[in-house]
Amino acid sequence: MVALTLPVGEDGTVQTAYENGQGPVRPAWRATQRPPLVRHRQGKVVAGVAAGLADHLGVPVSAVRIALVLTSIPFGAGLAVYVFLWATMREIGDVVPVAPAPVADPAGAATSPGSSAGGGHGHHHIDLASLRTWLRSGNQAVLITLLGVAALALAGALWLGSAGFDVHAEVILPVVAIVIGAIFFWSQLDDTDAIGARRPVRWIWLVVGLGLTILGLVGLLVRGTDLTALWQVGGAVLAALVGVAVLSAPWILRLWSNLRLEQAARIRATERADIAAHLHDSVLQTLALIQRQSSDAATVARLARAQERQLRSYLYDEDARAGTLGAALTAAMGEVEDLHGVPVQLVVTGDRQIDEHLDALVKAVREAAWNAVRHGSPPVSAYVEVGPDAVEAFVRDHGAGFDLDDVPDDRAGVRESIIGRMERHGGTARIRHRADGTEIELRLPVRQPADPEPADPKAAPAKSPDAATAQTPTQNQTQNQTQNQTQNQTQTQTQEQAS
Amino acid sequence: MTDPRTIRIVIVDDHHMFRTGVRAELTAASAASGSLSLEIVGEAGAVESAVQVITEQRPDVVLLDVHLPGGDGHGGADVIRACAGVQSTADVPVRFLALSVSDAAEDVIAVIRAGARGYVTKTISADELLTAISRVADGDAVFSPRLAGFVLDAFGAAAGEVAEIDEELDRLSAREREVMRLIARGYQYKEVAKELFISVKTVETHVSSVLRKLQLSSRHELTAWAMGRRLL
Repeated sequence: MVALTLPVGEDGTVQTAYENGQGPVRPAWRATQRPPLVRHRQGKVVAGVAAGLADHLGVPVSAVRIALVLTSIPFGAGLAVYVFLWATMREIGDVVPVAPAPVADPAGAATSPGSSAGGGHGHHHIDLASLRTWLRSGNQAVLITLLGVAALALAGALWLGSAGFDVHAEVILPVVAIVIGAIFFWSQLDDTDAIGARRPVRWIWLVVGLGLTILGLVGLLVRGTDLTALWQVGGAVLAALVGVAVLSAPWILRLWSNLRLEQAARIRATERADIAAHLHDSVLQTLALIQRQSSDAATVARLARAQERQLRSYLYDEDARAGTLGAALTAAMGEVEDLHGVPVQLVVTGDRQIDEHLDALVKAVREAAWNAVRHGSPPVSAYVEVGPDAVEAFVRDHGAGFDLDDVPDDRAGVRESIIGRMERHGGTARIRHRADGTEIELRLPVRQPADPEPADPKAAPAKSPDAATAQTPTQNQTQNQTQNQTQNQTQTQTQEQAS
Repeated sequence: MTDPRTIRIVIVDDHHMFRTGVRAELTAASAASGSLSLEIVGEAGAVESAVQVITEQRPDVVLLDVHLPGGDGHGGADVIRACAGVQSTADVPVRFLALSVSDAAEDVIAVIRAGARGYVTKTISADELLTAISRVADGDAVFSPRLAGFVLDAFGAAAGEVAEIDEELDRLSAREREVMRLIARGYQYKEVAKELFISVKTVETHVSSVLRKLQLSSRHELTAWAMGRRLL
């Protein structure tokens, strides 16, 4: 409920902040606009009010804190100001005031406890591991508040006593208990925004808070009478609380569900806007281009293919693979497609982080595919297999094959860009002329085992590694035999013959 | 493929435009081929209507889109499950050939594990599609290069794992691995056969065996993946 009333106060606060900075008659000494009055999660000790206020006013945060503490001691004015500001100031996750992003941000939840613990100004952790983790989990603020309230109550009692007022411990203690219970309750309110995604509500804290409040109320009411009335008063307090809860529960539930619906709708709207923006920038533009150039079949095919590739990478989130061999190959094949309009079917099995040797392999594959789309005929396919000790690549087309005598330029291109490049990096290249097309085979040995991250499930030792290693040599043998036989059968040109 | 026969087909795809296109292409291609005639006996655009058309018409082959509205939200896989046990007019089980624009492994494997006999992308040429249909009608399997690549990846064959006995479900045999590698390289079945000095029939046997392993294997990558999407 408080979450609902918050924006009103917050808007008001922010508005005044802007009026100060943006007014038509802006004083010369205030040339820069003030940062908005918001609570930061970084550098906070209790709730970030002092830090946010200091940031807004442009004064040191310690000065604000001292001022708040000093003004709190006589009449609690500083405390009242603090609580009022806490209730009205909006809390933001970062120092950079970005546009309010309603999307639940798990990263923020992960960083917030650490940053609040790390940036605690002048606050010393007791050097006990368990206590520290407990504090890191976000309880620090509440603990400090509790200590502050207790100290304040003590100070208030002493002051009242010295001033000649009659101090009744039986009044002070219940009031302190109620305040502490309320703080327990409100501490949960602060860290759960309406999405409820930042931090789960700790129910034990709510129970403790509720218990303390009830205890305080009972203590306050029972004060004058004897102990036999305790149960009656306790029962009455409990009944009153239950009654209030029952009466207000439907309201709270409805407000809560309305809020959830509203937020879900806002998230959906944002997502839809994102997708719409993407579609507009890419698909609609391409469709417009296609309509304009509909007479040119080759251009239409190329545009459609390029758009398909882009949309695919958007849908399947291929940015996640950035920096890997697979991503580099996809990009290279896409380039070839764009330049020539012939689709290249790329299949990659396994993956690993790219290095300079693999980069050379990608360039050689690109050159081979480039040759295939120029001189061969579709379908052009590229297959790259990341094995445990070598990366193998095969690029094949279905054309009549290029005759090296007819295209002398390409001879140099093939020799230099493919064969030479592979050999410089310790690999081999072979060009095979088949009855129905040409196939270029590239092989690049790799030393270290494949990168553990993409190959994680396979790297797990469960699958009898001895069997795999025992099989590999025989496997290679049979493969070599087959290849040798094939060499005799089909007219195969090795690298020497090619150059 | 030796005797001129008629294969009865149902096309299931939620894009009307695409159904019309496939129908026109297939009709033209089967008329041109001569050895094979196709009869398109029905079309459907959603899971429920597809199940209804398939049980009524009892076709030989269903061309099935991976993404379909209706059902339990699993698209083509729902159709295959709902049609389990339906037999064609020739009293053999209805065969499904998945046809999709999606290259995403999870989409492909979902329909394969549900029971499709093969998977091809929508960019396939009409002649190749015709071959694929006749192959599936004969009970053989059809693998696209990308599916072969995924199989090599998922069974750890690319990393050098090979089964010692052919019956092992969780790994490919050496020969199956060779066949998959060649298919991933873009080879047609007859090219694979020539390359490995075996008959096309043997290639088909190997591919069918890989398909069986793909459908039945409990290999942890496959299971983990399938569990993650509540396919099992």
